[in-house]
Amino acid sequence: MMVVLLVLPLLSALFMLLWPRIAPLLALLTASVCSLVALQLLLLVSQQGSQQVLLAGWPSGLAISLEANSLSSLLILLTALLQLLVGLYAFATHRRDKLGAGFWPLSGMLQLGLTALWLSRDLFNLYVCLELLGIVAVALVSLSGDKAIKPALNYLLLSLFGSLCYLLGVAILYGAYGVLDITVLASQWQADLLSSTALLLMTLGLMLKAALWPLHGWLPAAHAAAPAPVSALLSALVVKGPLFILCLLWLQLAGATQVAAVAPWFAGCGLAALLLGGVSALRTPFAKNMVAYSTVAQLGYAMLALGLLLRFNQPLFAAALWLFVLAHALAKATCFLAVGEITATLGGKRISTLKGASQTMPLAMFAFAVAGGSLIGLPPSGGFLAKWALLQGLWLQGGQLFWLLVIVLATLLSAAYVFRAVVLAFNRADPVAPDFAPRILPQWLALLPALAVWAMALYSEPLLQLLKQEGL
Amino acid sequence: MSLLLFDTILCLLLLALALASILSRQLAHAVILYIAFGLMMALAWARLAAPDLALAEAAIGAGLTGALCFSALAHQQIQLKPDVLSWPQRLWPAVFVLLMLGGVLAALLQLPPTASQLIAVTQAGLGNSGVSHPVTAVLLNFRSWDTLLELVVLLLALLGARQVAPEVKPATSWSLSLSWSRLLAPMVILLAGYLLWAGASQPGGAFQAGALLAAGAVVLRLNQQLSWLSWSNFWIRLLTVSGVLVFVLTALTAILLTPGNTDVVWLRWPPQLAAGIILLVELFATIAIALTLTVLVAGEPASTGAELGCGEGV
Repeated sequence: MMVVLLVLPLLSALFMLLWPRIAPLLALLTASVCSLVALQLLLLVSQQGSQQVLLAGWPSGLAISLEANSLSSLLILLTALLQLLVGLYAFATHRRDKLGAGFWPLSGMLQLGLTALWLSRDLFNLYVCLELLGIVAVALVSLSGDKAIKPALNYLLLSLFGSLCYLLGVAILYGAYGVLDITVLASQWQADLLSSTALLLMTLGLMLKAALWPLHGWLPAAHAAAPAPVSALLSALVVKGPLFILCLLWLQLAGATQVAAVAPWFAGCGLAALLLGGVSALRTPFAKNMVAYSTVAQLGYAMLALGLLLRFNQPLFAAALWLFVLAHALAKATCFLAVGEITATLGGKRISTLKGASQTMPLAMFAFAVAGGSLIGLPPSGGFLAKWALLQGLWLQGGQLFWLLVIVLATLLSAAYVFRAVVLAFNRADPVAPDFAPRILPQWLALLPALAVWAMALYSEPLLQLLKQEGL
Repeated sequence: MSLLLFDTILCLLLLALALASILSRQLAHAVILYIAFGLMMALAWARLAAPDLALAEAAIGAGLTGALCFSALAHQQIQLKPDVLSWPQRLWPAVFVLLMLGGVLAALLQLPPTASQLIAVTQAGLGNSGVSHPVTAVLLNFRSWDTLLELVVLLLALLGARQVAPEVKPATSWSLSLSWSRLLAPMVILLAGYLLWAGASQPGGAFQAGALLAAGAVVLRLNQQLSWLSWSNFWIRLLTVSGVLVFVLTALTAILLTPGNTDVVWLRWPPQLAAGIILLVELFATIAIALTLTVLVAGEPASTGAELGCGEGV
């Protein structure tokens, strides 16, 4: 089943390169089949426990090991579903937006890279997945044409630097222990200078690639320059890949003293991301930049949850971390698609373009507001679930008043930038006139993930159970 | 003693070339120095008893990257003047690099002298892998999933570069270089074939052979030959993706060929067929790598190339 999930996107991407005409059809077909298979995998894993595979039939150590636990299969399902949705959106708007034939094979390879990354439990194979992901993301950003070349090139250079840092760390670990398999490595782990250096190098590279504060500088330009469907994929999925590896490293490999040393730093970075990212989102004059800065801020929650998880080792924080990732992926897909649709129809990049959008494009604006509700953490949305898990965990620890205050402040900030857009949209006195009749289908497609993120609240109990026991 | 002298000079030369390449005022000089650096680096790998890396470094690091840099320079319409940086601007990266270097060196001094226990496991598995050269066995049997993904990465580099590639200006070729490149072409094909075949038992293999083949093809393309070699030609596209395609299809066939079909193991080659399978995969990988690198370096031929009736036109 894992093989199908890996081979199908790859083969379809290759066929799309050969016959560009049938590319959209192939892409949609692949994404829907993959969604079904991923759902089956999730059911299988939740019934029979995690599935481990040693590739190529060689003994452990020699072969690359893959593992599908419930978190991996949930992320695979999310990837396939978002691919399907974004593919539908891109197909619905491809005449207007001139996305170019390059989008379809690249999105197939993006799915391959992400699926391979969620499954892999081998340090070097993870590097290859990271590299694949980085290059495909840069190629997708450069689909916008000449104006995107500079952000794309910055992204490429920084992402290569991040990959090289990670690779250097892997090389040091291989030199020290002679194995690459994470489970085998964890059993031999010693918390000495060598392993600390390797961990620091890998963390530096991964934080750069995941745009975690203070290494987030490339993200707003790159995500804002990309076409709307691409920004949705990048913000929702691609930055989560390095974050996943970061969690693997610190939760499975690192020794107790190393964890204790780094936990406050992670929490501090998360805190700074929340506050400074929120302020930047509030100040920027451009609509897509606002959504991109909001990604920086929201990644701060994940980082904060990781830091607290490392410090207190409380399973609620693990649940909070992955709930943030899931809720943010769905909400951000909606935000980028809705804002892309509105700015394309109303013609303009600034937030002031949104003026009166509740009248001219009510559906897209509704989608944005609903997704914004989850970003703020209004009940009963996925964002609320995540925040509730975080607060509950802090409450159980007791005496963490400082963090509680910070979370309240960050929530107010995110409410401020979401409402800044929404209030403008309800200013109906002098609405910005659309350049052409707004189209209904893309707006509905933008609304779907927002509805899904609110539906997450319905499945809160099984989700919490599943993510709490997993925690990587 | 003489070897020690050689190593010292090599290290000093590497440092000097790297510094000169970074500090050079003219980009063309920097590229030439960088190519020289690549060649010295290949020597260094050879001295470190890693002939596979030396071959790859010479072909890709020195040869193709140099050609890529030169073609990028040639595409540049305006003469770029390098920005004059202030001292603090130069100082910060230097401090950062020195700090990182110091940290990594301090860590590397702690490396244990023992060899990895995987070497023994690799030697034990070599008998069933179908080849006798351990590097090839790791690349195409033990960790073939990595190699497959790396081939996809190479293909992606081409796809990404194609989106931003400018039009290639038609240039006239020099008659001496034209005849020289034609003379070289059969030799390059022969050498690439040898490297590919030798990969089973000694250093060599698909990446090196492909890079060599690409170097020959790039020289021909720069001399306005091989005008059919463009992405718009369906057969070229087919051969370019064939590296990954044949790899995947072979793996799927191998699953079907496995008797019993009790548990499906992705990318397992049946031991008695492994040698043939690896050669097949490597053959197509070589062709794909060569074509990918050629199209990447030389770009699309100017639209006049279609007049020869070989391509489908742009």
